[in-house]
Amino acid sequence: MQVSRRVLLTSIAATGAAATAPGVFAPAVSQAKPCRIGILAPRSGIAASAGESGLRGTQWAVEKFNAGGGIAGRKIELVIEEETNPKDTIERFQKLVQQETVDCVQGIVSTGVGLALGPVVEEARALTIYWDGTTQDGVDEKLPNPKYLFRSTDNECEAVMSSLLAIKYWNGQFKTIAGINPDYSYGRNNMAAFVALLKRFNIEHEVITEQWPKVGTMELTSHVAALKAAKPDLIFSSLLFADLPVFMKQAHAAELTKGTKLVFPAAGWQHTLMKKDFTPEGMIFGHNTLYFDNPKATAMQREFVAWYADKFKDYPNWEADRAYFAIASYKEAVEKAANARGGAWPAIDDVIGALAGSSVESLGGKGSWRRDHIADQTFVQGFSTHANKYDFVTLDPARIETMYSTELQKPAGANFWDWLKAAKFQI
Amino acid sequence: MSGATSAIGNILIGGIFHAAVLFLVAAGLQLVFGVQKIVNLACGSFYALGAYFAITFVNLALNAGLPGWALLPLLLIAGLLMAAVGPPIERLLRAVYDRDESFQLLLTFALVLMFQDVFRFVWGANPRSLDNVHLIYGKWAVGDFSVPFYNLMVIGAALIAACLIGLFLKRTNFGRLLRATAENRAMAEALGVNVRAVYAAVFTLGTLLGTIGGALVVPTAAASLDMAVEFVIEAFAVVVIGGLGSMPGALAGALLVGLIRAGSLVVYPEFEILAIYLIVIGVLLLKPTGLFGKTAA
Repeated sequence: MQVSRRVLLTSIAATGAAATAPGVFAPAVSQAKPCRIGILAPRSGIAASAGESGLRGTQWAVEKFNAGGGIAGRKIELVIEEETNPKDTIERFQKLVQQETVDCVQGIVSTGVGLALGPVVEEARALTIYWDGTTQDGVDEKLPNPKYLFRSTDNECEAVMSSLLAIKYWNGQFKTIAGINPDYSYGRNNMAAFVALLKRFNIEHEVITEQWPKVGTMELTSHVAALKAAKPDLIFSSLLFADLPVFMKQAHAAELTKGTKLVFPAAGWQHTLMKKDFTPEGMIFGHNTLYFDNPKATAMQREFVAWYADKFKDYPNWEADRAYFAIASYKEAVEKAANARGGAWPAIDDVIGALAGSSVESLGGKGSWRRDHIADQTFVQGFSTHANKYDFVTLDPARIETMYSTELQKPAGANFWDWLKAAKFQI
Repeated sequence: MSGATSAIGNILIGGIFHAAVLFLVAAGLQLVFGVQKIVNLACGSFYALGAYFAITFVNLALNAGLPGWALLPLLLIAGLLMAAVGPPIERLLRAVYDRDESFQLLLTFALVLMFQDVFRFVWGANPRSLDNVHLIYGKWAVGDFSVPFYNLMVIGAALIAACLIGLFLKRTNFGRLLRATAENRAMAEALGVNVRAVYAAVFTLGTLLGTIGGALVVPTAAASLDMAVEFVIEAFAVVVIGGLGSMPGALAGALLVGLIRAGSLVVYPEFEILAIYLIVIGVLLLKPTGLFGKTAA
């Protein structure tokens, strides 16, 4: 989306069609002021591409909703600010709430930022829906029962799913395992979760090396050499930024990927960069909550992917789904609460009440909000294939797995590691 | 080749390759500081500029029908073309030559941020890469040992760059002028040396080292918005170890950092960063001017 740093995306197109469309709420609030949604999304740095995909998901949703009359009869107006470090993002959040007086704030990709912002959201009493951020310090929830804040699924969901797939399909085919994961809590917890699940299912294994490149490292030949020297049967990696395709390219050049099983739960964040030239078939490849080429995709996902491809000559990653889920569930909650008030714009407490426990059809599948304001969403992973029309790998249509996050994340109040030991997993 | 020998070979080559990349970034930093006494944080941006432009340039050339083996000359041309940003930026930096170092750091850091926005505007937020085109030169594989010939070319390019800079500085008249200006700017100026021209040439040469470095490395990696700062931090470790302003120091520092990093990743990966900065601290304590740095008179 071509937007300047502070942009108002006003009533995108379709105003004529919307004006004539007899929306459900048109009689009560059709002349009302717009519904202003503040967006905090990364536009530079390592998460810039995720922010871009999320903004495009939001843009598509706004075009679609405004064409249908907006939210409860109000046209949506976006106020976009950048998510950067916690301190600056908090300042921009306060500006959105106090100066721009937005009705809802959405966005936040980084859990580091989300964790710091959480208490500020509660203090400001501003309804806020995170795309991909949580309020967890590692795997420990630091804001157990917020009132105004709604958060993403646990960051470890994709690792739990990939681990289960590795156990399901490759049990007995590997013993020595190696890890190369980003050196922060996400990477470390994902690797630890994989090992914990191997223990849980009594899979004989030996961790022979664990590499922890700092996030965004673009020269990984020494890491590749260290992995190759260890000769693992299986490599687990939750690399997910620009370093992921670089690792894969350098690993391919060093022939590390030949004959080694690969488990990459978060590869879908960079899916269009995972070129066939260097990304092997048969690796476990996670697309999180949106697999753009899903043969079982809904008509809405197909429409979105076609729009995205046509407009940006690109294919969306899961951040687009997270962003769509945030705005679609907000719309649904506002309209439900407005309905209960005979069409009048609802108070924030009414919207919060309607949002908790609600479900919507998001781009990648069903999404819902738990009572503790943590999302549940549909996760898609599978085995990579070269049999497609693209220059990058996709998932083998015959080996796509879908799981709802109720099977992948700890329930409210539970300790993650205890839950891993006791949960009933469907393998 | 036995398994152990292959593993050691892979690790050594990995370390030397990393050292070559580091040297190409650090060399520009060293040259500019050595002569102009400016700590140019934007050297990483020149590296990124070379990388981004090389991707566009190579893709255009290959799509126009040029053969894949032309990759290396195309990358060198791309780096050479982008060095054209050097003179105007040097003109901008003249405003802070005689001011406090903090102004120089602020201005060059501002350039880093501005370049990042330019990269996003021109090439977008998504990382860009050249796929596997560098493998057109093949691989050297014996047993478990395997290295793309292209990686060896990058190592060779770094060595050639080091030799050429050494010859240029020691064996040419202009090189002598550079060294004279570096030793005593006022004296050189009094003796008729056109210091402005010297500075412009040095800065352009420093820029060229960065842009060619980025162009040469990008086929094995990718260009991303953060790459400008990724290597600068390690490059500072290199110049501290080698000695600020010393070109042999940059080479030795890069080699030391590359090999220590590669070794620690095998022995104890948690020490990857720690090992490098322990050396930095050791050098600062025992020989603050760096291994090849000169003690101030």
